[in-house]
Order: sequence, then C-alpha cells, then structure tokens
Amino acid sequence: MRKFIAAWKAAAHGAAVGTLLATSMPSFAADDLDAAKVYTVRNCSQCHTFEQGEKHGQGPNLFGLIGREAAAAPGFVYSDGIKEALKGKIWDRDLLDAWLTDTIAVAPKAQMVYFQDDPKARAKLIRYLESLK
Amino acid sequence: MVQKTKSDKTPNASRRDFLKVAGAGGAAATFGAITLSGKEAAAAETFDAEYDVVVCGGGGAGLPAALFSRWLGNKVMVLEKAATLGGTSFKAAYWYWVPNNAAMVKAGIPDDKQHFLRYVARLSQPQYYDASHPRYGLSEWEYSMCEAIYDSSAVGVELLAEKGALPYRHVAPVPDYFAEMETIGATGRVLFPKDGAASMSDGGQVATRTLSTACRRDGVTIRTGHRVQRVIRNEKGEVIGVEAQNDDGVIRVKARKAVIFATGGFTHDVELRRNFLSIPAYGGCAAMTNEGDFVRISSTLGVQLRNMNYAWMCPISFEKAIAKDPSMIGCFSVAGDSMIFVDKRGKRVVNEKLHYNELAQKFFEWDGANAQFPYLILTSIWDQRAQDNSASHEYGRLIVPPGIDDRHVIKGATIEELAANIDARLQKYAGQNGGMRISADYVDNLKASIARFNEFAKTGKDLDFHRGERGVDLLFNGNVKDEPGRKNPTMWPISDKGPYYAAFVTGGTLDTKGGPKTNPEGQVLDLADKPIPGLYGVGNCVASASGRAYWAGGGTLGPIIGFAYRAANQVNKEPVRG
Repeated sequence: MRKFIAAWKAAAHGAAVGTLLATSMPSFAADDLDAAKVYTVRNCSQCHTFEQGEKHGQGPNLFGLIGREAAAAPGFVYSDGIKEALKGKIWDRDLLDAWLTDTIAVAPKAQMVYFQDDPKARAKLIRYLESLK
Repeated sequence: MVQKTKSDKTPNASRRDFLKVAGAGGAAATFGAITLSGKEAAAAETFDAEYDVVVCGGGGAGLPAALFSRWLGNKVMVLEKAATLGGTSFKAAYWYWVPNNAAMVKAGIPDDKQHFLRYVARLSQPQYYDASHPRYGLSEWEYSMCEAIYDSSAVGVELLAEKGALPYRHVAPVPDYFAEMETIGATGRVLFPKDGAASMSDGGQVATRTLSTACRRDGVTIRTGHRVQRVIRNEKGEVIGVEAQNDDGVIRVKARKAVIFATGGFTHDVELRRNFLSIPAYGGCAAMTNEGDFVRISSTLGVQLRNMNYAWMCPISFEKAIAKDPSMIGCFSVAGDSMIFVDKRGKRVVNEKLHYNELAQKFFEWDGANAQFPYLILTSIWDQRAQDNSASHEYGRLIVPPGIDDRHVIKGATIEELAANIDARLQKYAGQNGGMRISADYVDNLKASIARFNEFAKTGKDLDFHRGERGVDLLFNGNVKDEPGRKNPTMWPISDKGPYYAAFVTGGTLDTKGGPKTNPEGQVLDLADKPIPGLYGVGNCVASASGRAYWAGGGTLGPIIGFAYRAANQVNKEPVRG
C-alpha cells in the first residue's frame, strides 16, 4: 500500500511513467501463482480467456501466449494497427512487460488500451500468463 | 499543492478496521451504500491525494468530463473500477448523435431546435406529447435536459475534435431511428470516430484510445482498478472527496471543487435490475463493472431517483447472458435474410429487422390470460445460405463465422432434428427460463411459418410484420447475399434442405438509464431540487430525460458528451473547498 501510494504520488506530480519502470522483474514464488491467477482473471477476463481451447473473447485466448508469435492467434480478428506494430514479434517477458506498461506505446493503434505503471501488478500478470502452457 | 497524506504514518485503529472489513469480499458492496459525513469525516480528515476534480469512471462519460475539466485548468484524477478504460463505450460501435453539429452546419443541413425538441418529446413521452404545448408535453426538467442536449452536445464534440481527443467523420446519410417522423434533421446527426472501420462497428475501441491518449497527454491522472465506494462530505454536507478500494486497500482522494460520477448504470446488479426495471431482463452488454455503484453510493444523500424503470435496450443472446459472458455484444444488427425468429410454438411474432431498442421490447410482452411472458425467449432460425453469406463477428450477430465462439448456436440436419435439439437445449436452462419447452405442434408450426415467410420473401412484402419496409430496417440488415432484382433485401426464402441453425434471443440492456436526478449542468439534486454541493453525475449513472426512447444511433453518447461539457463548466465555477 505504502509503495503504491508513493508511486501514485510520483505519477500525480507529473513524473514520467518511464521512471517508474522496474528494469528487473520481481520474482514470485510458486505459491504466488494462485494470487497471480486471481488478480489476472479478475482484471483481464472482461476481454480474455485463459484455459486451453477456450474461445476468444473481445481479446484473444491467452493460453500458451509466451513463446508464440504476436497478433497471430488463429481465429481472432486483429486490427491492422496491432498487426503492423507486432508483426514478426514473439511474446516473451520483456515484450509482455512493455505491452502491459503501455499498449499504446508499443502499438499506437492497438484495440487494447491498457497501461499499468506498477511493476508489481505487471509481474503478477506475467507470472500467471507464463504458467499457461 | 499541499498534500496531507497518510502514507508515512501508521494507520489509526478505525482506518485499519475499515480496511479489514472492506477487504472481506462481499462486505465491500454493503459498504458502498454508506457515505461518510459530519463527525466521521472530521475524524478522518486526511487524504492520500488532492485534486480539483475527481472523476469516478473512465468510460464514455468520464473521459470527456475529465478532459473538459482539465482544459479549464483543473488538476484532474480519473478513478476507474475496471482494469481498462472505456467502460461500456469501449464495447460500443460509438456512433454519437449530435443535433445541429458543425458538420451539418457546414454541409448546409438545417436542424432547427424546436423541431428537434418536438421529435425527442414525441418519442420520450408519447402519451403526453402535444405539439401545441409550450414544452410539447415534457416536464420542465425533461425539457431543460433536452434543450441542453441541443445546445451543448455539438459544442463539446467540436472541442474534443479540435483538441485531437476525438476526431470524427460525419456519416451524413445515417437516418434517425424514426426519420419518417421528421421533416428536417432526419439525417446528418450521426458522427463516428475518424479512424474507425468502414463498417462503423469499432468506434468504441478507437474513441477509448484517442480519449485516453489525450488524457495522458494533457496531464489527467488516471488510476484503473480503483472502485469508488464512498463519498466524503464535510460538516456542511458538501462533497469533498471519495474513498476508493484497490487491490492493496483503500485510498482517500480529496476533491477541492467537485466529484463527478460517471460510473455507468446497473445492468449487472441483479438486485437493482429486479427491483427497478420494468422488464425481466436477463442481463445486457454493459461493461461488467456497471453494478449500480452510484445508486448505492448516493442512497444516503437524499437524491431523487428518476427513470429507473427504463433502459437502453437491445436483443441479446440468451445463453451468453446466462453465462455472464463479458464479451457479449448486443444484437444491434440482426443478421440474415433467410432467417426468422419464432416463439416456443414455432410461430413468427415480430419484424426481426426492427431496430434493436424497439425489437427488444417484444420479448417482454405479457400474456395476461396465461400469466407469462410468452416471447421472453425467441429462437432465431436460419439456413446454410444465411450461414455462408451473413456470418460476421461484428455488432453481436448470432450468425458467426468459423473460429468465432458459436456455443450459442444449435444445429440440426432437418427441421425435426433442429426442433429436438432446441428443446434439449431449453431443458438445460430449466432453472432460468421458467421451464420453457417447445410446444407439441412446434415442428408443424415452424414448417408453416417458414412456408408463409418464404411467400413473403418471394413478393418482397411481409404481410404479417412488415419486415424491411422502414429505412432503419435496411440500415441494420447486415451482410446478405447479393440477389439481383429482389425488392426487399431483408428477406429470402429459407431453404427446404438442411442443415439448419438456431440461437436463443432475449431482450437485454446496453445499460440502464435511471439514477439520481441532475439539473442540466450535471449537479446532483437533493429532495428540494437543490444541488448537493460538489456532487455531479453524467452518463448512464444518472437519470436520463429520454424516458423509454432511443432517438437515434448514438442517442446515448452524443448527449452524454454535451452533459459532460456542461458539468465541467459548472464544476469550474465551484469554490475551492478546504
């Protein structure tokens, strides 16, 4: 809570979002996976599904995301803007972290408008998405 | 700026107790109805942050309200409950209906104010409408709200466009939904985000991107994952801030000038839906976070709830609604020409191409003799030809292409097999559909319904329900196979050969349109019709003066931008409160 408020106040004072970025990802223990899952499902299930073989929602199914080609989930209709920006890229931790920090910075015409300047929150999302394999 | 914060202090006992309670899952919702005031507020006078204006909700109302406030020089924070911005508007096509907009003026399309007011009065309160009455039968409040839409929506929209926050393109040919009632202004009022697709289905994604980019560019502080659950008032009863819950606990934000609520309606709160809506809707396609937060938060403030019985309506997939599918989009365009809707007897009961808000009313027709809603769930039935030519992933269509979620689709090689599969699927939902089954004579009726429809399709005249006779029926016809020479593109004979497809449809809400009453400046009014100092509301969380009406495509978002503009200007006149 305290750390969050500090980050938040910095943002409120106009500090660039970039200065809040963690260069190294906090590592989570295995038992943090449950918490990471709860957090991710709660925050992302408006648009995404997570289990293998589940249908796409407003966003693509995220099973097996890490290691797969970006903007290429079979059966999902991507916008041209997102296809152009992510063409040929492979989802790894760094790309995912950059994406979750600010989707519009990575793909200026992305359908997904999401920005999370709290590295702890991003780490939770990445922890769970990594486990989906 | 001086900030009093608690971040460097140990929380006091009462704060800690609150955190414990608020963190206890369902208890948080109960707390939402409580408003700190007087003594309580004085005892907890510190804040985690301080802004001039705090906007609760980052959707179709909140983002414009935040920008307008910011551009007037205020320090603004947006607190959004969901992880992402846009709310319901993100899922919307985002047409916005703007009377006498600048593009109309430029193109020389006239749009007279009195004419506009007569149109909205006729549709909003048809039972009181009187063309010779000075307010056309509207109440003073309704009339003033509708005037505000005409006077301010175009102004707000132009400012958003000029600042690059919401560039638009004018879609001049789109008619109002009751264009035949109008002599002028029947077309030309619809605008659409400039970079949206040619099919005009994805405006919400574009608008959410451009509006939120402008917010960040211009220094609006945005916090997602923050659910505002209380209003904080000072000793005088003035609203001076909010408490919001996030994953780590609760933060308190001071609002020196005002708090603007833009938190959406109560589509996803079963309790409020059951007790306020005039219809037994199963749900809707509003953002899942639209749970009536402002109805609950304002319940101790002496507000006047208005228009709680009505909603912006659309047909929805029954099965997706039951599954609470967050990706569900309302059926804004009912796809297919070789397609009909039938009831549980296998009979057609409605013009399937009636535009969404009006089509949705059909599901709630009451059968007094049998004490039931006989049409609560209708079944859309189509053939392989419609499947091949009318499938689409847009506008919530029930006919979807391969690869798109089709769990709502029921299949059958023959009419008999389809009927059996429909009945089996109905039984799966026995607890949710009142034990609905198809009738014993369903197959015969369905075959007769198809035969009769096919005759209409050949002549182009639907003698029963007049499908395709109005311009707006054609507007939402969707993709159909090109059939040179046919007179009515909404109809084509259903094949006498399978396979056949079906899906359950019911009426739902885009979102509700009732809540606390505001004046045209967005100030929430108390029981004496006096503004509650520092408290504003815009969008679907407050009462709409539209009654049951859905005036045109974008009849939600265009007016909302006007009210956001007026609210921001009124907020700017508020004194800074200590």
